Amino acid sequence: DDDWQEAHERLAELEEKPALGRERDGPGEDETDLLGEPEDTLAERLTRLVIDSELEDPAVMRAVQTRMPAAQPGGLNSSIWDSSAVLRRIRGPLLAQEMPSVSVLDYALPQRPPQPREEERDPSERALPRRSSSPVIGSPPVRAVPIGTPPKQAAVPNFNQQILCPKPVHIRAPMQQRYPAPYGERMSPNQLCNVPNSSLLGHPFPHSVSPVLTHLQRAQLLGGAQVKKFPFSLPSRHRNLNGSAGERGGQRSSHQEQIRKDPYANLMLQREKDWVAKIQMMQLQSTDPYLDDYYYQNYFQKLEKLAAAEEVHGDGPKRERTKLITPQVAKLEHAYKPVQFEGSLGKLTVSSVNNPRKMIDAVLTSRGEDEETKEKQVRDKRRQTLVTIEKTYSLLLDVEDYERRYLLSLEGERPALMGERKQKICDMYDNLRGKAAGQERPSDDHFVQIMCIRKGKRLVARILPFLSPEQAADVLMATARNLPFLIKKDAQDEVLPCLLRPFSHVLYHLPLATVTGLVQQLTNLPQSAAASAPANLHLAAVLQNKFGLSLLYLVLSRGEELRSADAELARDNQW
Amino acid sequence: MNYMPGTASLIQDIDKKHLVLLRDGRTLIGYLRSIDQFANLVLHQTVERIHVSKKYGDIPRGIFVVRGENVVLLGEIDLEKESDTPLQQVSIEEILEEQRVEQQARQESEKLKVQALKERGLSVPRADTLDEY
Repeated sequence: DDDWQEAHERLAELEEKPALGRERDGPGEDETDLLGEPEDTLAERLTRLVIDSELEDPAVMRAVQTRMPAAQPGGLNSSIWDSSAVLRRIRGPLLAQEMPSVSVLDYALPQRPPQPREEERDPSERALPRRSSSPVIGSPPVRAVPIGTPPKQAAVPNFNQQILCPKPVHIRAPMQQRYPAPYGERMSPNQLCNVPNSSLLGHPFPHSVSPVLTHLQRAQLLGGAQVKKFPFSLPSRHRNLNGSAGERGGQRSSHQEQIRKDPYANLMLQREKDWVAKIQMMQLQSTDPYLDDYYYQNYFQKLEKLAAAEEVHGDGPKRERTKLITPQVAKLEHAYKPVQFEGSLGKLTVSSVNNPRKMIDAVLTSRGEDEETKEKQVRDKRRQTLVTIEKTYSLLLDVEDYERRYLLSLEGERPALMGERKQKICDMYDNLRGKAAGQERPSDDHFVQIMCIRKGKRLVARILPFLSPEQAADVLMATARNLPFLIKKDAQDEVLPCLLRPFSHVLYHLPLATVTGLVQQLTNLPQSAAASAPANLHLAAVLQNKFGLSLLYLVLSRGEELRSADAELARDNQW
Repeated sequence: MNYMPGTASLIQDIDKKHLVLLRDGRTLIGYLRSIDQFANLVLHQTVERIHVSKKYGDIPRGIFVVRGENVVLLGEIDLEKESDTPLQQVSIEEILEEQRVEQQARQESEKLKVQALKERGLSVPRADTLDEY
């Protein structure tokens, strides 16, 4: 028990020495003194170090505080600074008796050898996005401490010291004293095995999601993060450090300058910034980025294509564009099994976010036909049309997506994909025309209903490129046949012109006969000359509408082209 | 160190001077010291700036901790361009006086409006009974 008191006195003397002009090795020397102590205090300090983060229980704090005045060693003047430090050291011995120190040792000590490696990698490790492949991480594990809690540990005492004594050099120095223990020299093979991979320390950011972070591991993680920044302050046992110390000197002076200009800078530690960034990245995790974040993915692809194009042309230095790598979470099938106890009768009624309780037994009741009124029928019909449009739209989106999937899929899978795609296209067409199995599809009604709705028209425009020529021609004919009606309905939406482009594409592939037929439909010219004039109302309506006019013009010009191109067809009288 | 390129994050903004507009209409200017995942902000050496037409006045406030949901927008202040403004700085008393006058004028016009509507048999729902969003 006396050991910590002596240690503390030494520390107190240290802080009273003139702060400026001290090398950062100063605290390092301190640590050698502290570390020279026997192992049982090491265990104690470890316990203290680790337990500190867990038991900031106000009850404990108060209990210890009452003991503090009695326990304070003499020669302590700056009590504000050291109160928390003293507090922690006091709590240690109190609690060490309760917890077995062996288990703490087993987990908390990180490896010493990885550290020289860490320092070399240090600058490159910080640049997180430079990875070429993102790690596949399993679903986030259950945490003992929820993610929302900020990193505790040395942040608190450090804060006090910073605010009250914003002297540039000194700000960093006291932090070293927090972690003399973890870098204890002696480690049993047991510890080496139990300690998580040093990659945890080296890459605090992306890997931190995967292993289950217990308090102890987190403490060490944070300790590791700290050490990463100030490797030169460690005891001289690390021979490699002396080489890197010189390099750090240059960095340090600019750092000092920055701090001098703004003494309150870096109140938010790097570790804390990383923590916030980590949370933000976790929010971006997704199992299927193309599903969750379609527009961002496409936008980024476009940007990359532009950049690649630019780089091909330009001779300039290759600017490394850091790309945001979102961790891809593997899709896991969660079969949730509610909690069951053996030997109990029945199941527990446990309702959670994963297993919501069914509150209402909603049952679909289909109404009888006779009871419906006319308005209801009309309404239902419209609703049905809307549903058809939506279903066809999802089919369309899938079909449009197939191209991307081709690129991603393996060779063997491609025929299957093609087959699927064809099937979907057929389904779409059927939806459009109204499945009338066995009939010749005499009624355009279904199609016309779809065309009355703005979304339906856009849908048809998007589908047309995928349809076979016959199917497309069919659609065209149907449109032409009902054009006046559609024009009337389109007065408000004015979306018919969007159909022009796909229609013209289709026209280019049509044979003359079809084109002729099309013209007939458009103008509704009676096939037999005996019909009377009123039929021309159709034509009149067509001519009055911009879309109708353009369509008619396209058809006529195409017809003419075909006629002039092929001498045989020129004899066709119908034209 | 470029955190998360292609995203919006406040991490790069730390230790820089910002102008923060709050939902209650206040304008705060201060150094952004700390953030968290909810965009709760810690502002240091904060000044509340009151704007009335072409004048403004600063009230020094110290340290602000702002709950993230109350922030409308915030933006970094370019220290070089900061003084380059057509607005005129006045003393605190003066700006508070101006603000009071402006408030009064607004209330008067509001009263007249309500009166006019009442005469026509219409009513404007009161702000406190309205849904905030």
